[in-house]
Amino acid sequence: MPSTPSPRPKKYVRVIMVIAMLLTGWQIFASVLWIAPSSALRQLVPGNLLSSYMLPMFGQSWSVFAPEPINGNFTLQVRALLKRGVGQEVTSWVDATKVELSMIKRNPFPPRAGIQSTELAMKFKSSWDALDSESRESVALDYVQDQTPRQTLSEKLAASNQAAGLYLATEDLLRSYSTQVAKAIWGESVAQVQFEVSRQNIVPFADRNKQKATPQPVQKAVVGWRDLMVIPGQSEPEFSEVFREAYLGLEK
Amino acid sequence: MKLTPGQFIKGVSGALVSFYAQLAELFRDVALGGWRRIEFWLLSSKKARYGLAITRIILGISGLGLLLSNFTTRLYSFGPGAAWNSGPAATQSELANFWLFRSFSEAATDSRAFTFLYLVLMLLAVLLILGWRSRLVLPLYFVMWVSFVESRAMLGDQGDNMYRITLFFLIFADSANRLSLDARSRDAAKAGNEGPWWRRLWSGEQIFDPQIGNLLHNLVLVILTVQVCLVYFIGGLYKASGESWAGGFAIYNPLMTDRFGPWPELSNLITLWAPFVALLTWGSVLLQLAFPFMLLTRPTRIVALFGILSFHLGIGLLLGLPWFSLTMIAIDAIFIRDRTWQFLGQRISTTFRESFDEAKNPAH
Repeated sequence: MPSTPSPRPKKYVRVIMVIAMLLTGWQIFASVLWIAPSSALRQLVPGNLLSSYMLPMFGQSWSVFAPEPINGNFTLQVRALLKRGVGQEVTSWVDATKVELSMIKRNPFPPRAGIQSTELAMKFKSSWDALDSESRESVALDYVQDQTPRQTLSEKLAASNQAAGLYLATEDLLRSYSTQVAKAIWGESVAQVQFEVSRQNIVPFADRNKQKATPQPVQKAVVGWRDLMVIPGQSEPEFSEVFREAYLGLEK
Repeated sequence: MKLTPGQFIKGVSGALVSFYAQLAELFRDVALGGWRRIEFWLLSSKKARYGLAITRIILGISGLGLLLSNFTTRLYSFGPGAAWNSGPAATQSELANFWLFRSFSEAATDSRAFTFLYLVLMLLAVLLILGWRSRLVLPLYFVMWVSFVESRAMLGDQGDNMYRITLFFLIFADSANRLSLDARSRDAAKAGNEGPWWRRLWSGEQIFDPQIGNLLHNLVLVILTVQVCLVYFIGGLYKASGESWAGGFAIYNPLMTDRFGPWPELSNLITLWAPFVALLTWGSVLLQLAFPFMLLTRPTRIVALFGILSFHLGIGLLLGLPWFSLTMIAIDAIFIRDRTWQFLGQRISTTFRESFDEAKNPAH
């Protein structure tokens, strides 16, 4: 402790101090309740005061790599139907995940651009997993203009499944992304797109040093052909410039 | 002498009353002493001035590093090339809808406006590192940073949350008190507490009673300490409840994925020998759980800080999360005492001077 006592704080400083201490106390208490797993202690805070205080500014979740860290790879592949004069042609699959991940591979300063398709694939897989088997069969069919409009899919899913809304919105998100990928690689002749999302687990820890470990099964989410989808404001050159460069870099 | 029962009760109760009165006085003294200690700690001076300055500098470096890493792909993933990343299924942050944090979202479809904001944000990060006009630069940087990072929330990680929360509280502390251009010009001017409030604000002088500045600065330290301890401890608890963490091989899993294993050769090397994997896995959980308690004494604190530094460096490189890791390292800097930072600074400057002198006089 100090040998010389500090001057007594002014009254208004003391008042501010007590208020600031109370606010600090509340911030700490709220953080404890928010960061820790949900417990009965949260009942001490009335109503939804806790979440309305913490969100959005102090929003956070610290179950990172826990309880079980990620143990699989997600893949998003895209192919296109090209118009060729009078005829048409189906391209081979392009692994958009691999293309983007090449931006972060062996790069100590990875750009966030490298994880877009991985994030999309994860998002899509979970929305697809939530569908029942009948809906999954519907999703695997083609919905393109002049044949079966996409509206048909919406109606089919809405009748049978609660998760339909989120699924359809997620499909649109991936459709918009896949359209950009297809245009970046095959240009303006792209007429329709198809994408496929899959998950494959890594080799289990115990088998890691085996010469010939059997690869884990690939879990596919099959989606049929779809019309192109372009969101207003989308710049195709800004997308294709970066994607093409990474794609061509992989081809080499 | 004979006591009547009445006298006996009176005597005993008298003794009890005086005992409790003395006990109450003791409690009052202890409480009052405690209160005075707390008051003195909060008001008398700013604590961890170097520590918090280092936090400011490393946060600036981490922000600048992230902006540089994303520079060539900024229009692809954040700007007009990423308009597809919208709609009801896109991950959207509530923050990006708040008027204060809308600048980058608004500019996202205009390459030039977006690049302009991006460059301004980079400039602000540099100013933050240098500690120039921090009182104004810091809030402005905070607003623009949140606006940028939350505009494409799908690409974010928990590091963004830690960064935002720390930066927010840093606004109320005096993180430019040391190791900054502000401190240098303040020392040079020696102007003291003069001039109108806006000039003092601009030059980084005290605006209120100095005790209030001390109070806010020190309370921010308390909040950040609790925040980081909670993050480690609760994160450790969540891990401890997982089978692969308890089984001592959890770190193998993400390292083998393409997303979190950007260095396949290193990942293979580090996971080759099972006992080493177990050591790292258990070590991570143990270090996270023990961190708050290890801060309490100096020797354990040193072990904890070296441990957590290597933990973050490992994550930063091997899992490809450099800016997340650097953010955590920035906050841990507050646990190193000013005396230690000063000692380190002197060591570095002496070494520099000596090698300069040697270069000048190669005869020695």
